[in-house]
Amino acid sequence: MNREQLPSTLLTSLHVSYIQNLGKSTDDLAYHLTAHLRLNAIYWGLTALFVMGHPDALEKEDVIQYIQSCWVEEAGGFAPHPGHDVHILDTLSAIQILVMYDALDRIDIPRVVKFIVSLQQPSGVFAGDSFGEIDTRFTYIAINALSLLGCLDQMDRDGAANYIKQCRNFDGGFGRCIGAESHSAQVFVCVAALAILDRLDEVDGDTLGWWLSERQLPNGGLNGRPEKLEDVCYSFWVLSAMSILHKIPWIDAEKLTAFILSCQDPEKGGISDRPGNMTDVFHTNFGVAALSILGYPGLVDLDPVYCMPAHIIEAKGLQKGWKNLQRRVE
Amino acid sequence: MPAPETAAPAKLKYAERPEWADVEPLQQYEIANPLAPILYSEEYKDATDYLRGIVKAGERSERVLELTEHVIRLNPAHYSAWQYRYETLVALSAPLDVELKLMDEFADKHLKTYQVWHHRRLLLLLTRKPAPELALIARILQRDEKNYHTWAHRQWLLAFFNEPSLWEGELDFVDTMMNKDVRNNSVWHHRFFVVFQSGVREGEEDRERILKRELIYVKQNISLAPNNASAWNYLRGVLEHTRQPFGSLAAFVQPYTVPLPASTTDIVDLENPPPGRDADLPCAAAIEFLADVYEERGGADNVDKAVELWRSLANEHDTIRKKYWEWRIREALATSS
Ligand SMILES: [Zn+2]
Repeated sequence: MNREQLPSTLLTSLHVSYIQNLGKSTDDLAYHLTAHLRLNAIYWGLTALFVMGHPDALEKEDVIQYIQSCWVEEAGGFAPHPGHDVHILDTLSAIQILVMYDALDRIDIPRVVKFIVSLQQPSGVFAGDSFGEIDTRFTYIAINALSLLGCLDQMDRDGAANYIKQCRNFDGGFGRCIGAESHSAQVFVCVAALAILDRLDEVDGDTLGWWLSERQLPNGGLNGRPEKLEDVCYSFWVLSAMSILHKIPWIDAEKLTAFILSCQDPEKGGISDRPGNMTDVFHTNFGVAALSILGYPGLVDLDPVYCMPAHIIEAKGLQKGWKNLQRRVE
Repeated sequence: MPAPETAAPAKLKYAERPEWADVEPLQQYEIANPLAPILYSEEYKDATDYLRGIVKAGERSERVLELTEHVIRLNPAHYSAWQYRYETLVALSAPLDVELKLMDEFADKHLKTYQVWHHRRLLLLLTRKPAPELALIARILQRDEKNYHTWAHRQWLLAFFNEPSLWEGELDFVDTMMNKDVRNNSVWHHRFFVVFQSGVREGEEDRERILKRELIYVKQNISLAPNNASAWNYLRGVLEHTRQPFGSLAAFVQPYTVPLPASTTDIVDLENPPPGRDADLPCAAAIEFLADVYEERGGADNVDKAVELWRSLANEHDTIRKKYWEWRIREALATSS
């Protein structure tokens, strides 16, 4: 694609219809191959819609009923899709969507809490499912979910923080588990989890902020690790952590904004990982979320800790001391 | 090279196979919803219906292994198929070496799928034979040198079994990987993990010697490829971990902060290996390092020198991080005045 043809403003109405149409083209193969992501995908789509100021673009009652159909009675959690297996990822997505729709009363909260708490391991980290995959990502997900449900006190908070602390590397970043390499997405989950636990004292903000700002490449995009390619989704992982650490001003916001905007599909809507690639709802959400953090005009404020609209988190009394860029006026 | 898919004879559905007639397939709950109608391939639907039936009946048998393998081949992220397979292997006391061998193919094909690695980990906890696993990981890392799961699996294996014979070849392995790509951050991370993060092993008690060895290692690599963020991060990590002043490296770093001189002579200096003839200099990471040296020394003169270097980064050598360098300048001037 020719550089000059790349979009330079946010194509909001195209993205809204792109997200609305996602569930409709169910005869294409990609749709079926992503059934294991379905609840996540609805969360991504809905968050992007809220941030773009179109919270009513999906049929609320349909979405809530779909969530209820993903409930797994034996386990007390949610599956990505009816008949699939329960997983902590989808359980958080269900909770986040219901919080955005102010409909938490539609689920059995004590059972969900019990399911989430049951996944915490003796080391403090959380597993994602009963098979036992562990990841600091799941620790964040559990903390985020329990916090939204007002039940943080039911987990071992010190244990979780202590495990995360052990995942800190010599470069100031965090990895997936003890010993693993630093990675921007893992940095986000660890920093956001510590923020919710009020344990940011475990983070060396200047060193980590520097490592995060090193993720910006001359073309404006951000990568996940040194010597890797830029990708729109890393805009969110890196920026959210920097917002929590009050380091966003270290980013070249103009160049990053231009990079994200250049990844839009100007015909069908949606945002891709890099210019000219296939769009998907994951990168659409994280692209829009990053633009909100960067103060892009017309967008709704995003809470970088929860990756949800800021006014909703604030209304629940859960807001932490993050700092996004001031919203610009067109 | 991966074996070509064999042209299997047209597979009968489980519903059409007499040996499965005793199993009651369990269909998944479907609802009519415009956001998410369900349409799977017939093969996947058939197999997972029978898996749900088997799970409900609690059956543990050879054919469960066949069925779960089939489901996993169709969808390697299907964690409950993995879990049921693992529990069945244990219940049947099945030969785990055979299972690991079968799983080698999965590790090759689906190396980005977490379940593949977690299943191996569970099997290894039972077989307790980590050595062949190191070789397999090495082979897979040849193909995908930065694969996060594979590296994490290796780190777990080494730390968990923690046998001297496992650690023995690890620095040579790092060298092999480093020779393929000196800019691979996963390899630099792994080196730090092996040398500093995983305890002091026999033969490595003399930490002075280890520090010296590591500094020579990283300096040589910087001299071969100066613009390598991973190597500079490693250097900083080593110095901070061992509480060495950055200033101890000033003589080494200085030549990397200026343009390459027109004529260079080949000097072999192990302590301070100079940049190679085709080096792209000045190197931003070196300028940053030298500025840190001046800041560490303190005093108005040194802060001025540091500020000058940061300015050159902000305005010329690392303009994408201009805001960061300007912040460093403000901070340094505020604390020194
Ligand atoms: Zn991405």
